[in-house]
Amino acid sequence: MSVIRQSDPKGWTHVNDDEYEAYCKEKGVDPEKYTTMELLAIAAARQTYDFSFIFAGTGLPMIGCMMAQHTYAPNALIIMEAGILDPKLLEVPISVSEARGGYMCSTLSNMADTFGTFAQRGFCTFGMLGGAECDKYGNLNSTAMGGYYSKSARDDGKTGPAVRFAGSGGANNIASYADMGLAMMVQEKRRFPEVNEYVTSCTGSRGPLNTPEDRWHMGLFRGSGTTIVSDLCIFRSSPETGELEMSEIYPGVDEQLVIDNVSWSLKKAKDFKPFEAPKHEEIKIARMVCDPHRIYLGRKTKRELAAEK
Amino acid sequence: MAEATIPTFMRGKDKIMSLSDAVKTFVKKGTCICPGGFSYTKKPFALAREVIRQDIKDLFVTMNGGASICEFWAAAGLVKLLDTTYIGLEGIQPVAYSVRRSIQDGTIDVEDYSNYGYGLRTVAGRYGWPFSPCMSEFGTSFMDNDTFAKMGLRGKKADGSWIHPSIPPARAAVIEDPFDGWGLRPHAFEGGDGTSNQTNALEKVRESTAYTGKQGVKVILVPPILPEVTIILAQRVGNKGTTRIEGILGPDAEQAISAKYCIAQAEKIVTEEELRAQPYSNTIAMQYVDAIVEVPYGGFPGQVPYYYDYDWDFWRAYTQINRKDKAEVNKYIRDWVMEDEWTFLTTRPGDGYPTITGTKGLQRLFELRADATYGYKPGLARPL
Repeated sequence: MSVIRQSDPKGWTHVNDDEYEAYCKEKGVDPEKYTTMELLAIAAARQTYDFSFIFAGTGLPMIGCMMAQHTYAPNALIIMEAGILDPKLLEVPISVSEARGGYMCSTLSNMADTFGTFAQRGFCTFGMLGGAECDKYGNLNSTAMGGYYSKSARDDGKTGPAVRFAGSGGANNIASYADMGLAMMVQEKRRFPEVNEYVTSCTGSRGPLNTPEDRWHMGLFRGSGTTIVSDLCIFRSSPETGELEMSEIYPGVDEQLVIDNVSWSLKKAKDFKPFEAPKHEEIKIARMVCDPHRIYLGRKTKRELAAEK
Repeated sequence: MAEATIPTFMRGKDKIMSLSDAVKTFVKKGTCICPGGFSYTKKPFALAREVIRQDIKDLFVTMNGGASICEFWAAAGLVKLLDTTYIGLEGIQPVAYSVRRSIQDGTIDVEDYSNYGYGLRTVAGRYGWPFSPCMSEFGTSFMDNDTFAKMGLRGKKADGSWIHPSIPPARAAVIEDPFDGWGLRPHAFEGGDGTSNQTNALEKVRESTAYTGKQGVKVILVPPILPEVTIILAQRVGNKGTTRIEGILGPDAEQAISAKYCIAQAEKIVTEEELRAQPYSNTIAMQYVDAIVEVPYGGFPGQVPYYYDYDWDFWRAYTQINRKDKAEVNKYIRDWVMEDEWTFLTTRPGDGYPTITGTKGLQRLFELRADATYGYKPGLARPL
């Protein structure tokens, strides 16, 4: 399969330099220095390619898919689960079901139809997701920690799960049907356990490859592995074992920091390489085109807040 | 057939009702209610507020597509059971705090599905099917957890009636595909170069013995949803019930048609003829709508495509408020809905939270009107 990427910034959505400078001044951001959220959006967009189908979940993927459409993958088709196919995003949506997300889309249908007509039928190259927990085989937990059950269904006398998250939404389905998983996450050791307590979505191989524990032997008929874009590095599923391996590392990040922030003994991918620092053009587009109000990009990770102190 | 048992619409009665009468007639303590819309879009908030005004408790909320209404109800302490897929407020608050807190402290019991799993349940409900086939959810914890079964809410009582009329006897079932995966590899999409679909692992799936113990392709079956009442918001509803939804449909049509009763909250009630001039654009057939209430701007603080945008500033303020002490949040939400919808809409927009323009009430609503070209208000200030 020949992959097409619009790698020449001349083909990207244009941003005027003077306007950009004025914007940075107004918002009090350094025109050259990128933040963690900007890095995540840019790194996710770089994983995509043109003419692919990007099924985007809510949260960070909104900015990730928009970034892709304005740079490397101008002809990629974005799908959102409320019924949207191939919108032209002018303003970042805050929901997978809002009018901003539906602008100039090809068709606008309903939720069951979107998963059926597009995902089940195979028009889902990348399943772009966020998650609360990610384990060694790329399983995401976005449901609960500290026991799944609510009070009346529990046996341990507790009133409910210790932490309840949002639940699957479309994440499980997007992960089940996507040819390739693509998740964006903030990396902390507790968020990267060896085995997830609750598996909401299998973005990767689910278990060791070619065993009864892998995704296909559990009944899923699609998928080939996953890419996890964290705020420290990029993980990819090993083609031999299915385990997540460190595949690319961001500039200025120490390998040991990545290793210390996962709960399994992390291996380096055979083709491990440094991640090319975000380009000026990418930062400009992330800021001025995708999220000028900084709805997503203005958020700070714990690590960033700690570094500021 | 006794006249009293014949549904309202078949007796030729007027479906147009006041907001309070519609809620009083169809929503009772413990009702299984399904709110339509998706997150911030086309949510029937006026009906949701009326449920709070009438203080209808112990609700069994079954829903797909975002928790904004459920968040208000949970804040008011009205929800007991929840059959859902997602309890977040998406970009504004990743997990709706009142719902989250109520699940953690034991006030709400919850059963989870994935969106497509649940969506297929609404498809089964719509068409009156006993179940729908689902190829997702394999290999996940959905398959190993069943709250309602552990609570003893599934199945039949000794007298042969269902323990709970809106809870199916099983969460899901797995069968072997009697057609051996034939339908899963349509000829045009065999995978690999030259097609959109890059992967097709059907041969590996054929080796699978998961769930059934036998080798072969598996299918998950999910039961229909059968809510007692679905509430939806539509831009236009004909005076006999023909409903037209513009913009993103989300789960609305399936959920409305699956329910025993449907209340449609309309931006505008119009003549049937206005909608029947283009019947192909209509969403819900007239007989599925049992009550129609007209509440212009009743979707506030949400967005109604082509009519008005969401009140970003409200949500930003609300997601700070809902993290306060539980009793305080309960009091806030009960005060917030005021005594009736007119008082609410003329008072609450822009009230008690900072907006850039400082407008309030109807002026604030007017300000949020959508641009017809986009369906939303371009350039709406959305500071974090």
